[in-house]
Amino acid sequence: MNCETCQLKELELEPTEIRDVLRCILHTIFFHRTLSLVRPKDVDCDFLEITYVQCGLPELEKEVDEKIDQFTAWVEKHPNRRSQICLSFFDEKQTPSPKRYSKSNSSKGLTNIGANALEETSTRRAALESSVNEVLFQIINFANEKKDHIPAIPDRIFNHEIMIPRFLGLCCPGPIHSSRHLGGHLSSKLIPLILEDT
Amino acid sequence: MASLSYSAGAGGGGRAGAELMVPQFLLKALHAILAVRSPRPHAPPPPAASAAFRRRDRWFHLPLHDPPPPPAAEHLPEPSLGEPLVVDVYLAPSGGGPDEVLERWTVACEPWPSPAAAAAVGEGLAVNRAYKRCITLLRSLYAALRFLPAYRAFRTLCPSGQVYNYEMGHRVGSFATPFSRAEEAAMRTKRLAPVETQLGRLVVSVQYLPSLAAFNFEVTSLASAAIITDYVGSPAAERMRAFPASLTEAAGPPFPQPSRRPNSWASPAPWPHTLGQPAKFSPPPAHYASPTPSPPTFGYLHSRFSGETAPMSIPQAGGGRGTVHHRNMSEPSRAFMFSPPSPKNVRGEAGMQESPTETSRSFKRADGIRMGDLYANLPSGSKIKDSRDESGRFSGVFSSSGSPRLGFSRSSSRLSMHDDTDDADFPFAVDDVDPDSRPGSSGGKDTGDQAGSSSHKSQDAAVGYLVHLLKSARPLRDSSYSSHTSRGESIEAGSTSSFMSRRTSDALEEFESFKEIRENLLARSRSRLQDSLDKP
Repeated sequence: MNCETCQLKELELEPTEIRDVLRCILHTIFFHRTLSLVRPKDVDCDFLEITYVQCGLPELEKEVDEKIDQFTAWVEKHPNRRSQICLSFFDEKQTPSPKRYSKSNSSKGLTNIGANALEETSTRRAALESSVNEVLFQIINFANEKKDHIPAIPDRIFNHEIMIPRFLGLCCPGPIHSSRHLGGHLSSKLIPLILEDT
Repeated sequence: MASLSYSAGAGGGGRAGAELMVPQFLLKALHAILAVRSPRPHAPPPPAASAAFRRRDRWFHLPLHDPPPPPAAEHLPEPSLGEPLVVDVYLAPSGGGPDEVLERWTVACEPWPSPAAAAAVGEGLAVNRAYKRCITLLRSLYAALRFLPAYRAFRTLCPSGQVYNYEMGHRVGSFATPFSRAEEAAMRTKRLAPVETQLGRLVVSVQYLPSLAAFNFEVTSLASAAIITDYVGSPAAERMRAFPASLTEAAGPPFPQPSRRPNSWASPAPWPHTLGQPAKFSPPPAHYASPTPSPPTFGYLHSRFSGETAPMSIPQAGGGRGTVHHRNMSEPSRAFMFSPPSPKNVRGEAGMQESPTETSRSFKRADGIRMGDLYANLPSGSKIKDSRDESGRFSGVFSSSGSPRLGFSRSSSRLSMHDDTDDADFPFAVDDVDPDSRPGSSGGKDTGDQAGSSSHKSQDAAVGYLVHLLKSARPLRDSSYSSHTSRGESIEAGSTSSFMSRRTSDALEEFESFKEIRENLLARSRSRLQDSLDKP
């Protein structure tokens, strides 16, 4: 398939962090690829000290939240698996030629709670914030470096599709990694791909 | 007049489009930076979801009218095409001391090195394509401003009723003192992919401190309390509207204008259209309405520049945080940096300071467009909201129960309620009033000989009498009673209740008189009807 691919950094997350991080990354992608008029809205992450920008489109927010809910449910049913989310933007003139963004996410649950759990949590949280920041700047760089293929400015958001793991076996051409982690860790990783049709 | 349409692609039109697009991009970038790097005394309210966009907001499809730029931005010189826009964001100790730069944003349109290069690169470059890329670039700048560590400092130092040991400030100009080696080493650089235009390459880059752990933010004191006398619901804030002159000639002078108070919930938006004007409750002006979805046209810029009013100064609350702005405003040497720098100026703080002559020269720039003019209507979204709030607030006067004026009789309140709708809508049915039957009326002649015409005449007379009655009615706000007096002194329950009872008794008397008139009219109509039926 002749499309551009942008691979974002893998992230390992706890189940409680999935929603926060997914919303942050997905909305950042949408904010860069929604060239129509938007109402930028600053949103603070619940668990991370990160503020991202939403487009201010209620329907888009609802769609993203629904997909995240589905993904979260999938993760709960399939622990210890790396999973992937693909965000695709479609050009109406060239169908089916999906442009895809996919993002990486993983959940990790800690079963051993010790005396240094809080310190480990804060350290880990800081590292996660740094990783998420890297991913966000990756999105910025990709969005600015790869924009020649973007069609004319539309009056609405581009056609898109958010594919969560249970659909990936049917349509996503990218690799799906599955691994099993021991030691009481739940882990699911998503390999981010941005595929754009040229 | 060229328009930045999707189909524009010609070279000539492209250059004209770029000449308008690039300055707009610089201004928008500056606005975006200052909006989240300049803590203000009062946090602006979040923008309303239904707030209409102005045409200027639609540049690059990213409205930035909320929060409005800080007051200091109104006096900044317009960024020119040939010079970069450099914004230094720094932290300085509250008690004074050297500041430390957290970020240095550089937004520039680097001209092509030669006309041949410009022709080679710019030829065939559609302006809409460059515009589309500028949209993405501005989005990236907007997002990056929130991802960088300085944003957390901005959020910490934003008004929270506390004064911290650090203050965040900014310097804007076209030149900045180069960092020392140590500073350079401590900073990281991010450059966004440039956008090629007919005029040059639009470049956005930032040098920033990756960590602010060295700055230990501590609360030094609470912000000084500000006593707000005209709070929402107070008599001073919610003044009753005067009767129109057609109803009462004895009414006092028009009510004073609502004072502009620095409420924490109110957007610090200038109200140039309401100052000195009578309170109006009409819908917002048409040009504030949401424009068509098409991108702004070039001609719009010229008309906007010529007709803008200067925004009013935003009152600053007391407290240490305000000193940041005072510092920027009172020390123009640190607020402005002008190019081209001579080699001897590129040394330490010397390059960031300017001579008083240059300062005065900068203020006396005749050419160019003052950013204050461009920003004059920036918070029009807030204006729309404010005007609506104002009308809503005034309409609430009549529905709230807090004001003692609402203790008037129902007739008075109904009269006031109808003031803003139609002067002719009297609260009493006109047909029921017969001025001839009013005790002591001068027009009480028996006109029973002429049934139809006399009845009509009596009704007209009743209407005229009613109008006269209303015109000569005592004003609701008696000149001998001052709302300021009642507010200045402690509002005693006895005086208020006696005043209320006096007004109520007057109204009751009038009501009784009207009742008598009505009964007389009805009796007359019945008698005339009987006479007409008895006649052969």
